[in-house]
Amino acid sequence: MTTLTQNTATAPGKSIIEKLNVITALALGVISAVVVWRLSLAFLPEDAEGARLFSREDKITLLSMCGWFVGFMTGIGALVGPFRWLMGKDLAHDENMFLAGENMGPKRYFRYTTDHKVVGIQYLFITILIFFLGGGLAMLIRTNLGTPEGGWLHAQAYNSIVGTHGILMIVGTIIMVTGPFGNFIMPIMIGARDMAFPRLNALSFWLIVAAAIPLLWGQFIGGITTGWSAYNPLASQAPLGMDGYIMYICIFAISTMVAGANITTTVVKMRAKGMTWNRTPIFIYGTVASVALALPAFPVFFLSQVLSAFDRALDTSFYNTAGGGSGWLYENLFWLMGHPEVYVILIPSLAALMEMAPVFTRRPLFSFNVAIMGIAGISGLSVLVWAHHMYISGWAPLLNAPFMLTTELISIPTGMLFLVLVGTLWRGRLWMTMPLMSIFALLWNFMIGGITGIYLSDVPADAFLHGSMYVTAHFHYTLMGAGLTGAVAALVYWFPKMTGRMFDKTLSWIAFWMIQIGFNVAFVGMFMVGLAGQPRRVESYAPTFNTANMVTTIGAYTIMIGFLVLLHGVISSARSGVKAPKNPWQAKTLEWSVDYPIPLENFDVLPTVTSDAYGYGKAKS
Amino acid sequence: MSVETHAHHEHPDVVGSRNRLGVILLLVADISFALSMVFVYFYLRGQNVNNMWLPAATADHPAIEPMSAGPGWIVTAIAAFGLLAHIYGLKGARSQNQTQLKLGSLVAFVASLVAVVYQFNTISSAPFTFSDGAYVSCFYMFVFLNMVHLLLTVFISLGNWNRARLGLYVENFWHVDIVRIWWIWMVVSSLLGAFSLSYP
Repeated sequence: MTTLTQNTATAPGKSIIEKLNVITALALGVISAVVVWRLSLAFLPEDAEGARLFSREDKITLLSMCGWFVGFMTGIGALVGPFRWLMGKDLAHDENMFLAGENMGPKRYFRYTTDHKVVGIQYLFITILIFFLGGGLAMLIRTNLGTPEGGWLHAQAYNSIVGTHGILMIVGTIIMVTGPFGNFIMPIMIGARDMAFPRLNALSFWLIVAAAIPLLWGQFIGGITTGWSAYNPLASQAPLGMDGYIMYICIFAISTMVAGANITTTVVKMRAKGMTWNRTPIFIYGTVASVALALPAFPVFFLSQVLSAFDRALDTSFYNTAGGGSGWLYENLFWLMGHPEVYVILIPSLAALMEMAPVFTRRPLFSFNVAIMGIAGISGLSVLVWAHHMYISGWAPLLNAPFMLTTELISIPTGMLFLVLVGTLWRGRLWMTMPLMSIFALLWNFMIGGITGIYLSDVPADAFLHGSMYVTAHFHYTLMGAGLTGAVAALVYWFPKMTGRMFDKTLSWIAFWMIQIGFNVAFVGMFMVGLAGQPRRVESYAPTFNTANMVTTIGAYTIMIGFLVLLHGVISSARSGVKAPKNPWQAKTLEWSVDYPIPLENFDVLPTVTSDAYGYGKAKS
Repeated sequence: MSVETHAHHEHPDVVGSRNRLGVILLLVADISFALSMVFVYFYLRGQNVNNMWLPAATADHPAIEPMSAGPGWIVTAIAAFGLLAHIYGLKGARSQNQTQLKLGSLVAFVASLVAVVYQFNTISSAPFTFSDGAYVSCFYMFVFLNMVHLLLTVFISLGNWNRARLGLYVENFWHVDIVRIWWIWMVVSSLLGAFSLSYP
């Protein structure tokens, strides 16, 4: 081994890296935002006559949010590496060790720590926080819809709560598997010492924290009253809170791109010796497919929001038809990201469950190649279906039939993944754990989500169902019923490796049944009112829909209790759960070969892989 | 771009190969962003909603005439010159000629600065206001976002020259090779903008 001759930096103990943490980040972010705000107030000229209302206020708000963003990222230490590179003073060995959080205890979770295991736990924490906030907003929505007349919330506040709930949950579900488990588990599973780019790994996490504040800020300046899709020109006429949404999406898109490049490079370049593609666990395929799909998809969403900001702050005409813009342009840009994003969420959850299926059935994964073809097929087709969200918009009616066809075609690779799961379960010796039951739950929920999706992909049926509660129920069945179910199973499955303790078995079962029963009660009720014609995103509704809405609200409260039990399980098990053995599930993937606590570089000696991870015996047909 | 993950040293070639793939993947995202901009331009141009792509003259507003595409091509040409200078420097690194490396890196850095100044001049002298129709909106989209690329290029080429000046590329120069990938993409993206604006 050779090493580069480095022009290294100052002696340890004097480096600026050691002085930066979340407190300095918050302080510098707030100071920057306030300074930019005051400067903007002082120096930005008044709007020209005839300019759009609030154009100057939008400029001030967006600039202040940019000030926050730059200040926060500087304060957390994200810019130290690039500027040290610029100066030709690369980080010294001791500084890298400091950044890795070695011997730092809990403080490492509040710094720009590069150890992938720390980043994984940070992601887990922020995912739980996002679901807690998004779930809380869902309960406000359902409480308001408990009676037909609504009125419990002000209509404007209700709209904002719906939009904020939507975008929080979308972001939460995007990161719920690839964030915690893609970071903590994946590098160990492939036999790597860390991610390919440890500093980019920390960057991807702290960008999400930086993004959260503008979203929160937006709640106090009019909220997000457009729903999570933020259609234009509605969004360009919405209150200043939309600027928070725009900043949130732009920063999150950068985080996604950084994470995508990092995870993909790690898997392509850092797999252990002997881990050929045929021996690479299916979870790795799912994770890479998800982030690789996000890599080209999210920049389109990013651009849609940049243009939205231009329209709001500079009075340009991208989406304003009076000035030559087009609302359809926004819809195209949005859904070019929006539909692949569904699979960005789903594929890692499905892959996590496919990873667990052989463990809890003690059989090889049924047709590994079909699983890969299914993942590849879904990924490929998902970028060709976006306009099925736009049938009713009137955009390009001639394209309705081709988009209907591509959307329905996606059932085929999805069916392949069903086949793999059912084939693995078939005649297996089932070890009835909560993760195994989650596979059954996923099959049930995703079947309903998938079949109802076929109706929505059908142009005549969609003409009736579009914009109704049926659509809301459908995508909750896919994203929550399938996606979140897989993520919760992954949490219980990998909990011993992440915390050194077993997840409380009783609590996991209570949470599982409450969530699944509550979920099916809630969203079957929603299907009923949707079929009967209740539109989505309404604050009150006709009395005829009352009973099913009440059923949905009861189901939602049941889900909430289930998730609170799960949260209690996470906290109590992490603090005082039964100590986990090295390999409690007797699984064969590499992460179970290392002891807890996992050393900084995971392996003393890098492993050599000699077989696939599913050698539990011969599959019976 | 460290040569160590934490404590474990790796061969520079291994790290260089990994960094190269990482940068290419990040560029995939940027390419998607740039192609989306081209889509926006030609979509709005094709739709010409309310005949407002290039609004005709009204009683209180003259007709909007498109900008000459020349400035876009000139910025691209300056960027291409910067790329050639960078490649010249890279060849110097490969042949262990540090003087050539330093000279190429310096010229590339200066070219990026000139491009920024020229782009700024194009923006500040444009004969429109932001609300003058869809073409003008797209014009600003291209020039603003090209400006972001150019500013990033100034940062990267300054770092590259400084590191060359300090002799950090004597033994290993994969950084210089990766900077070349960025320069190529920067020129191509600028070219995409200039090409689009040539069809007003």
